Amino acid sequence: MTTHHGDNAELSAESMNEYVSVRIGDQLFGAPVDAIREVFAPQSVTSVPLALCEVAGLLNLRGRIVTAIDARRRLGLPPREATESGMALGVERGSEIFGLIVDSVGEVLRRPRAELEPVPAHVDATWRSMVKGVHRLDKELLAVLDVSAVIGTAGAKAEAA
Amino acid sequence: MDDLISEFLTETGESLDVIDSELVRFENNPEDRAILDNIFRLLHTIKGTCGFLGLPRLEAVAHAGETLLGKFRDGELSVSPPMVTLVLQAIDQIKVVLEALENTGVEPAGDDSELIGRLEDASMGRLPEQADETVPQQPDNWDNDLGRELRPGEVSLADLEAAFNSAEPEVDGVATPVADAAPEEPVVHIGVGEFDPDLGRELRPGEVSAAELEAAFASAEPEVEVAPAAAELITKDMSQAEALATAMAELKGGDDHVAGEGGVKVQQTVRVGVDVLEALMTTVSELVLTRNQLMQTVRGLEDDDLKGPLQRLSAVTGELQDGVMKTRMQPIGDAWRKLPRIIRDVSTDLGKKIELVMEGNETELDRQVLELIKDPLTHMVRNSADHGLEMPADRAKAGKSEKGTIKLSAYHEGGHIIIAISDDGMGLNTARIGEKALEKGLTTHEELERMTEQQIHRFIFAPGFSTAEKVTNLSGRGVGMDVVRTNIEQIGGVIDVTSTAGKGSHFSIKIPLTLAIVSALIVGCDEQRFAIPQLAVRELVRVGAGSEHTVENLNGARVMRLRDRLMPLVDLHDVLGVGEAYNGKEDETGFVVVLDAGGRNVGLVVDNVLDTEEIVVKPLSDSLRGVHAYSGATILGDGSVIMILDPNGLAGEIVTAMDEEASIEASASKNAEATNTQRLLLVRAGGSEPKAVPLALVTRLEEFNPDTIESTNGRLVVQYRGRLMPIVPIGSEIRTVEGQRQPVLVFAENHTSIGLAVDEIVDVVEERVDMQMSSDKPGIIGSAIIKGKATDVVDIAWYLDQSRAGNIQRKASNRRRRILLVDADAFARRMIAPLLAAAGYDVTPTGGMHEVHAIAEAGEQFDAMVGDPSALSRIRQEGLWPNLPTLAVTDWPEDTQSEGLTAVLPRSDRGALIAALDSVSQEEKVA
Repeated sequence: MTTHHGDNAELSAESMNEYVSVRIGDQLFGAPVDAIREVFAPQSVTSVPLALCEVAGLLNLRGRIVTAIDARRRLGLPPREATESGMALGVERGSEIFGLIVDSVGEVLRRPRAELEPVPAHVDATWRSMVKGVHRLDKELLAVLDVSAVIGTAGAKAEAA
Repeated sequence: MDDLISEFLTETGESLDVIDSELVRFENNPEDRAILDNIFRLLHTIKGTCGFLGLPRLEAVAHAGETLLGKFRDGELSVSPPMVTLVLQAIDQIKVVLEALENTGVEPAGDDSELIGRLEDASMGRLPEQADETVPQQPDNWDNDLGRELRPGEVSLADLEAAFNSAEPEVDGVATPVADAAPEEPVVHIGVGEFDPDLGRELRPGEVSAAELEAAFASAEPEVEVAPAAAELITKDMSQAEALATAMAELKGGDDHVAGEGGVKVQQTVRVGVDVLEALMTTVSELVLTRNQLMQTVRGLEDDDLKGPLQRLSAVTGELQDGVMKTRMQPIGDAWRKLPRIIRDVSTDLGKKIELVMEGNETELDRQVLELIKDPLTHMVRNSADHGLEMPADRAKAGKSEKGTIKLSAYHEGGHIIIAISDDGMGLNTARIGEKALEKGLTTHEELERMTEQQIHRFIFAPGFSTAEKVTNLSGRGVGMDVVRTNIEQIGGVIDVTSTAGKGSHFSIKIPLTLAIVSALIVGCDEQRFAIPQLAVRELVRVGAGSEHTVENLNGARVMRLRDRLMPLVDLHDVLGVGEAYNGKEDETGFVVVLDAGGRNVGLVVDNVLDTEEIVVKPLSDSLRGVHAYSGATILGDGSVIMILDPNGLAGEIVTAMDEEASIEASASKNAEATNTQRLLLVRAGGSEPKAVPLALVTRLEEFNPDTIESTNGRLVVQYRGRLMPIVPIGSEIRTVEGQRQPVLVFAENHTSIGLAVDEIVDVVEERVDMQMSSDKPGIIGSAIIKGKATDVVDIAWYLDQSRAGNIQRKASNRRRRILLVDADAFARRMIAPLLAAAGYDVTPTGGMHEVHAIAEAGEQFDAMVGDPSALSRIRQEGLWPNLPTLAVTDWPEDTQSEGLTAVLPRSDRGALIAALDSVSQEEKVA
């Protein structure tokens, strides 16, 4: 599973937003395709004692060490069951790769940019800091993740600690 | 343009560093033409390149400096410190301009005419102090061809033509024609903003027209063979800047050699970006790990088809790794290059006389490590000069020579580099450090009283001891040393200090050769694995069931008895907050990893010790950097990621625990440090009592199959590393036990190895050896109490003689005479010193003339000198201890000039040495 980036360049990319749809808890999220380096199944994650709780651990992605961030913990959701390993979105920040661990990854969705609506004001502040907007799909809502905010706060927090 | 400038900056920066140190050398050796020529040539190259690039400020300063140097070279002026200072100021000014150039990409505006004026005055023979006349102005820069004033960096067409015309007949031996062409003109430049007919447009800054370039090459041709080749490369299609870059590179290569020996041979080097090397290193490291993994997998298989190619792969990978490592290696001298200049400045500023001795310049280490230790080293040397050494008058009063010495040395030891910085100054002020430690709340009065001097000295490394923020700050002795320590520990190094009041201080730094691959111990803790750098591991101890060691509790703090001392323990479970701590129940076993954390022993309790592995250290993610327990992460051979523990960080996590235990450790180590301890190998041979062998003398421990020990000509030998090695039994004979391998202590000396066969290797102990009785028994130096038992100490020298079939009787003596032992060879010193000591002499071993001078200055007296003939001759020539008997010991007595020496003796004949010593020291007494 490699990047989907640029697959549909011929479709008017300017007016459409492309998202990798992911599920975290009961909520459907969309991660902007151009923020995602790749999607992979996290294997043998080494937990790191003393690290921030959202740091799920470190894993080896083809010889590079990836810091796995648990999206559930970032969003304040209850932890996954131990049997579910989930999927990971690879995000490159500077020279580092982070893996954002989500429950499952679905198809790539394209929504018109104009349809992106702001996050309702009464949504929990933690979520609002990490969600850029909402798309109304037929059956449910797609919350657009601010991937760098999800990853970034982890880094910033660690620095402060 | 940018590429050219950056290349110019790199090269000029290097040249300036060389000039700095060469000038200092030159000041001390004004007669040395080679040094002056080198400086002149480097400065000339800088000037020439500035001309090419249109950097008028730099060129003007360089030119003025060069002119002054030219006067030295031509013998018109004699060298004096103010003159050299002036040239150094010019170099500094160039550096300032270069720095601005590096930051902004353009030469900064500014006026150097005052400095240039002083330089020119100096060239005229007027000393800088008198130079207060009007500063010569630069020539009027109105240009008739252009009809406007020339902009900075420009030059008129007329000037340029004149320059080239005059260049042709004049270029002589130096291949930077444009610069050489018009020495009396402060500013000569390839036209900037000029119109070039070939290009059909104006030249951009830094460009040069093809015609001019050809002219330049034409004039250079007779001397520089590479130039035509370069000129051929210049085609109309090629960008002019590119052509210039090529030409510059060629010219530079040519220039270096023309000046040298007239022949032209371009050195085949390529500048490669550091990031490329880093990437290459990472890739190779991964390859090595994959290779290791593959080897491990195949080891279990019986597939010969696979094994062959894999062996080759393994060998090639090893070579590749070595090769890539080499590209990263730089001599440590690169980090030291600035030091002579710094010392010169400090000594001029403070009015001290300082000699800087540097040994082991060529010792190579990883450039990454080099970069990281550069600043700490500079800081420490400056500290030594500033605060360690006394003023000349004070030194004279203390009976030392007025000139203080700072000695810097570097050498390899194992996989590490040892760097030592010592001075013969006043040493650390123990009382003041103690006071300050109290003031800062680092210790208490009671603790301080129990501490050894060395422990108090170590406070200079304590965090918070100094108030300085940066390594470059200076304000008092010891300031910034905690920053130095932190920097060194960051790269897995260790720093320590020893200091004697009035004699000087000695700092030693032990750092790994490379940071890329380190050897690590893999430990298990609560189902997880962690890596600990081997450098920090002192030893491993098993605790619990079946072990003599147990974990004990002292008001909740865990301690362990280790060789009659109490060592504070930390449990990794507690530190990391995982699993359950080792509880010390009888059925539970655990391991204690004894770590070196900031110079103190700390035991780390883990569940298991699993393996050692070569690991590639990967930096920690930002999100984990706040956790001090880790220094990095790594990928093991099996592909899993594990964390690397940081011993100092762990110590930080448990700092309260450390403080509680500090006093216990302090009182224990006080006794140990008061005397010299020695590591001894205890063996059983020829009797049931253990015998002791100094471990420092043993090269290796080997075990041989008894069948492989053969007898030739009545002597026992074994084939060892492609040679025959004689085997001598300690005790009467070799007692072989069926099916058991024969333990042998191997001693290597001058390419020959000798094996001492023993019955059993019992233990290694570290004890203070106080030789209680000397012995007349052959093969035994004497007896000492080791582990509470009287133990014979084996006389290795005697057995070595035995193996050479020499058997010497020695007379015992009880007189305590003082002997100065001089031998550069550490092994020889270790061999002879205990020998003489056992024969009743008080031996002061020295490794070289520096130590000898130090001892002479301290006014110590001796009864005789023993050692290397050349060293003894030098001592004689220098008139130190003029009337002492001198006994030279050498491997080749017949080839040695015995003039001025009392006797020359073969090294192997220790009996003769003792006999000669006895007789000369007796004569001395009688006389």
